[in-house]
Amino acid sequence: MHKIILAVRYFLKRRITHFAVLAVALCVFIVVVVMTVMTGLVSDFKQNNHNFVGDCVVGTESLVGFAYYEDFVNILEEQKDFIEAVSPVIKSYALVNVINKENNTGLEILGIDPVKHSRATSFANTIHYHKGDVSKTFVPSYDPNLVGCVLGIERVFERDLNGNYYYYFTVPRTGYSISCFPLTAKGALSKAGMGLVRTKTFYFSDTSHSGLARVDFSLVYLPFEQTQQLCGMDGPTKRVSAIHIKFKPSIKLQTGCEKVASLWQEFRQEKANEKQAYLLDTVTVQSWKNYRRASIAPMENEQTELIVMFAFVGITNVFIVLVVFYMIISHKSKDIGILKSIGVSNADIMVLFSGFAFLVGLLGSGIGLFAGRLFLLKINRIEDWLFERFNWQLYDRTIYTIGDIPNRVEFKVLAIIALSAIVACLAGALVPSWQAARQKPLDTLQVNQL
Amino acid sequence: MRGPVALCVLVVDCEFSGCGMLKLFLWLRYLRKKKIVFLSIAAVALSVSLLIVVASLFTGFIDAYERAAVEAIGDVVLAPPAPPAKFAKYGQFIERLEQTEAVEAATAMLSAHGLLHLGKGNVRAVEIWGIEPVRRAKVMGFDRFLLRQKDSGGKPSFETNDFEEKIGGFVGIGVVAEPDEKTDQYDFDAVEKMYGEEVVLTTGTVSGVNKEGRRAEVKRKVIEFTIADVVETGVHQFDKGCVYLPIEELQKNLYPDEEFPVASQIQIKLADNTEADVALAVIRGVWRSFVEDELGGNLYLINADIMTAKQLQRPYVAAYRKQMGILLLIFGVVSLGVVLLIFCIFYMIVRLKQKDIAIIKSCGAAGSSVAWIFVGFGVCVGTIGSGIGAALGYVFTNNINTIEEWIRIIFGLKLWKSSVYMFNKIPNEVDWASALSIVLLSIIAAAIGTLIPAIVAAATKPVEILRYE
Repeated sequence: MHKIILAVRYFLKRRITHFAVLAVALCVFIVVVVMTVMTGLVSDFKQNNHNFVGDCVVGTESLVGFAYYEDFVNILEEQKDFIEAVSPVIKSYALVNVINKENNTGLEILGIDPVKHSRATSFANTIHYHKGDVSKTFVPSYDPNLVGCVLGIERVFERDLNGNYYYYFTVPRTGYSISCFPLTAKGALSKAGMGLVRTKTFYFSDTSHSGLARVDFSLVYLPFEQTQQLCGMDGPTKRVSAIHIKFKPSIKLQTGCEKVASLWQEFRQEKANEKQAYLLDTVTVQSWKNYRRASIAPMENEQTELIVMFAFVGITNVFIVLVVFYMIISHKSKDIGILKSIGVSNADIMVLFSGFAFLVGLLGSGIGLFAGRLFLLKINRIEDWLFERFNWQLYDRTIYTIGDIPNRVEFKVLAIIALSAIVACLAGALVPSWQAARQKPLDTLQVNQL
Repeated sequence: MRGPVALCVLVVDCEFSGCGMLKLFLWLRYLRKKKIVFLSIAAVALSVSLLIVVASLFTGFIDAYERAAVEAIGDVVLAPPAPPAKFAKYGQFIERLEQTEAVEAATAMLSAHGLLHLGKGNVRAVEIWGIEPVRRAKVMGFDRFLLRQKDSGGKPSFETNDFEEKIGGFVGIGVVAEPDEKTDQYDFDAVEKMYGEEVVLTTGTVSGVNKEGRRAEVKRKVIEFTIADVVETGVHQFDKGCVYLPIEELQKNLYPDEEFPVASQIQIKLADNTEADVALAVIRGVWRSFVEDELGGNLYLINADIMTAKQLQRPYVAAYRKQMGILLLIFGVVSLGVVLLIFCIFYMIVRLKQKDIAIIKSCGAAGSSVAWIFVGFGVCVGTIGSGIGAALGYVFTNNINTIEEWIRIIFGLKLWKSSVYMFNKIPNEVDWASALSIVLLSIIAAAIGTLIPAIVAAATKPVEILRYE
């Protein structure tokens, strides 16, 4: 009991302790705000990637694609126990230009069946004009007889200064001439009858806003069959680039991917003697995280770098606690002498000052967390106010494709920050506590010391 | 007793020497006796080094970004608005430009987008730049980016050794090779094998609405060319997505009906010591008279964009600068802890050294002199700490690429990739202007941290401290 009483007493009586609390609170406040925003950006980015890809992808990087996909899709669709939806897609590059305009642009194209793809991914949530009926995604509302295409939103609409897109009320009638190199199963240019390049005109039917800058800027969705023809994958043995898969909600990502990988191995062996079996060699089974690794990893790295930098700066807090405790202990040598003279052990003295440090850490991090939470709740309003008054934004929305600043506080992040602050305080108090524990009552309670 | 006796002697001396010796004596003594002061020096050093590294990396990145723009498009770029986004007789315009004192050299460029088929199953979306290699070398030192020709000493050329009649072209290194996943380095042996390879490029134009009022038609053009050289600029965007062809060949394919040579951009190198604003005015004047004389005074063309490379990059540079400011502010606020630390340490010293202070004051030193001892000591701590911090920041920034490589080797973590951060090397030059500001601010912060303890010391009453009881 005396440990708690003394710890609280020192805390209340020694005003210098308040500086330690202030330093911890300041550091925790900044770290909470920065890490919440950063974690929010990273997790939003990951979620957008997950939405874009689905849970698992069986595919190849080669633009030739792979054959016999229909058989494998059938096998996957039979796995009702863990697979919810499957969507074969065709991925390639195309030269796109707006009809009547001279601008050619090289873009990525994705041939999909909108209904299947919406089941396997969150495609249906990204489109604007056909949200209610995804099956008509490629049907331009101004002329249902034309073949439609869906363009990434950054290709079509402008953003205002707050990052909101100016959608037209009706779908604008725009034609796009899209050309591809059709490739044979061996990867050579297919010249059969149609020249080296195949061109087809599509009409703007909708726009997709995935929240991924590169996707929204450089991806065009086209109807599956037409894309297969454009890319030369529509031969007697049809080919695709990838199969996107969504697992049942109860299935863990790793378990699902392992099961798909095992099915794929069996399938590959089964097809080993087929004519185009060599195309299956480059096919991999990847979870969405691995599939989008190249995009996600840099953001995670930046988060780690920021944590390391904060850890370095946080060392100052350890120093502050050390100094404060050193001061307190040097002034409280008599208390320590009395405690030890009535039989309190060295360990108890250490526990006493560690408890005190814990209190400093707890209070400092509590204040920091509270202030951080409060600031985060208002962060978007503060930014709006700054923008209105001073034309200043944290993220220039004409450059960064983000909406509101993420301010969703994650309990796990808060817990880690608070725990780190308390550990830093305990670390700072360690040496002074040890020195206090080693003091001898005989020395400190001598008459000439009193 | 040596301390107080020495102190008394120095205080007496102080009357004659302005207290300089006394202060120095006490600073050295506290530094020697109070090891805890080193904590404040360490904290200052840590914060200063971190801030210098952050400021230097950001500034280096921004400088590299601006430099990359100049190397890609020259000091100034002239681009007619769309439509028509191109103009004829560019040779005559360049001649006129080069006659002015403001312009050292200029070159034309014709750009388009295309798809490149490199081999089995290997298709890339690329940007096609029709260029004049010799002129381009004059304007932006393009020849030093050519892997095969850079050391030859000759003028850069599209010529291929095998067949003279074949079109030669350059491709960005990232077009023909992928950087290694772990090291981010290109396999130069694989790149070398691409020299002389024939590749197929498709591009196209749109024919204008004809007299019968028919709709415009997309004309696809397929160009086969031989890879004469590979370009490595160190800027991912250009290395990954650019194909360079002779401007005449590209024009022949895209605009076969044009009577005169056409260009979509003129890239200009300014003469040394030319003010950008003056040069822009001169170029605008030359352009206006050229359009009026040679292009029939076309109003669209007269209003061509004429901008410096820096002006073009301004919105992005502003965004990077803002990020840098925010990051420095965040670390600066966290570094305020250092002020608190110095306050705590100095407060402790003042409390423990009350007898010293009382002796000094009893010998006649004024309160302000005593206060200055501690403020000066704080400035010393700040100076030493920030000096060490600046040295650490310099060493870290200068060797950042080596450190990053070691992190990759030890932890397998590749922190810097050209595909993410544009450049293949981390900019590693110290931003001395920012470093100086940071050092000065940290010294001021250290002095602020000592203010209250200094006032407490100045208010010490010798009669209370030096009483026997």
